[in-house]
Amino acid sequence: MKLLHEGKAKRVYIDDSSPDNVVIEFIDNVTAGDGAKHDVLEGKGKLACDLTAFFLKSLQKKGIETHLVKVLDDTRMRCKKVEILPVEVVCRNIAAGSFCRRYGIEKGTVLAEPLVEFFLKDDSLHDPLITSDAAVNLGLVTHSEIQFLRALTLSVNHYLSELFKQVNLVLVDFKLEFGKTTEGVILLADEISGDTIRVWDEKGESFDKDLYRDDEGDIRVAYSHLIELQQQMDIDAVPVREEVIHVIVQPKDGIKNPPGEVTRKALSRLGFTNLRDVRVGKVFEIHLSKPITSAVLDQLTLMNMKLLSNPVAEKHHVRLDL
Amino acid sequence: MTTAVIRFPGTNNEYDVISVLKAIPDGDPYLVKSRDGAKALKDADSIVIPGGFSYGDYLRAGAVASVGDIMDGIRELASGGKPVLGICNGFQILTEAGLLPGVLLANESAHFICRWVYLKVSSGTTTFTKGLEDAVLRIPIAHAEGNYYCSAEELDVLKSNGRVVFRYCDSEGEASIGANPNGSIENIAGIVNEKGNVLGMMPHPERASRSILGSTDGLMILENFVRASKER
Repeated sequence: MKLLHEGKAKRVYIDDSSPDNVVIEFIDNVTAGDGAKHDVLEGKGKLACDLTAFFLKSLQKKGIETHLVKVLDDTRMRCKKVEILPVEVVCRNIAAGSFCRRYGIEKGTVLAEPLVEFFLKDDSLHDPLITSDAAVNLGLVTHSEIQFLRALTLSVNHYLSELFKQVNLVLVDFKLEFGKTTEGVILLADEISGDTIRVWDEKGESFDKDLYRDDEGDIRVAYSHLIELQQQMDIDAVPVREEVIHVIVQPKDGIKNPPGEVTRKALSRLGFTNLRDVRVGKVFEIHLSKPITSAVLDQLTLMNMKLLSNPVAEKHHVRLDL
Repeated sequence: MTTAVIRFPGTNNEYDVISVLKAIPDGDPYLVKSRDGAKALKDADSIVIPGGFSYGDYLRAGAVASVGDIMDGIRELASGGKPVLGICNGFQILTEAGLLPGVLLANESAHFICRWVYLKVSSGTTTFTKGLEDAVLRIPIAHAEGNYYCSAEELDVLKSNGRVVFRYCDSEGEASIGANPNGSIENIAGIVNEKGNVLGMMPHPERASRSILGSTDGLMILENFVRASKER
């Protein structure tokens, strides 16, 4: 098999059986601090592969689209071929790691609600934090893509947090990478293992790569423990998270909007005189019983065209972050 | 021949239409509830979608009705060349269903308007206006969304093919701005499809079909409709 790409902990090969797929091999490398610390731990690749397969399959069961096609053996899985987006997504429930250093927050502080952060994937710049506006402005992702990444990440957070709750562990934070297929479908890609998540028990003991970062233990013991706990994790018992999408329908530019004009006149009678124009549209709040996927967004476009808006006179757009 | 008069939840002019059609020889109307679906139209030679407030005008006037199952049957009859007449909410349903071009927006005044208007009939002969070419008719309107709008390209197509059948006008037949009750583009009150067998109109011909009501000008339109149904 021909090597396509070699990362810090994985190798990606061309899949001879299909041009749409690749084979990803988890290797025994472990690194921290942008590669400043580096070791080979025998058997670690298998553990990361096993955890990733379990979590990705669990998320797939809930309708989240991931790149995983099939586990091939102990360290290799067949995955959909994707172009990895240059922005990686971190979701935090509890303050830890770089977040504490950046804002001077005490480690272990519970955040008011899950926080989604974006980071630019660039080793030479040490993967800096990037605002969503900058990511869009620089053309790394589109505005709707960044909304999509945020929504999908919050879904993943819900399902993983609930899984860990079943075994009395707490999901502190995690990092996700997403990729785009040749058809433009965005999938959850990369891995979900102790390398990319922080998990604590009730006493605050870590079961993740922090053990290696802080020289506090053998991550293989911790990862093996998580694999043992998989038996007690049941994704079917996790309730489906309701997703809310807003569809905004507005009169097209240049189309007369009598309700808006009447409203403007009424407002001016109340003394609000600097209103040049008021246009009345509609907002549809749609509650979904499955995660937001590319297919769901395609369906929404169809819904808009078929019923929610009249394309002769109205324009529409979908918002995932209202 | 039989004419299916469609009733959606919220339609409220179906008995007016049926009563007028009954008085026309061969009118032979029968009521079809939308929930009976496309199969209820298998014996129909023509269709009237009467006025009212189908589905409470929720979403947009006519929008919910336009995706009803029965529309498949109406679409089939229309494509087979059978006469289809949409009055008021029926016109809104036909545009929402894509059987007629354009859209009916809120009246420019944003008010519900219920009053008598004059209509100028187009010069070219259509199935529905035989013998009425260039006539000025007096027929009432009653709607909140009758403000016809379509793109400039669509308007060109409609005009160059003689498909603008009715225009709001004054008593002299002048389609002036002052005679436009709702802001419709170029005073348009009714149009036909490309084939000429589907007519949508905002005014209510069934309310101008007896002298006791103040006008019988609408009756001539419905008589033409019945004659066309028979010819098929």
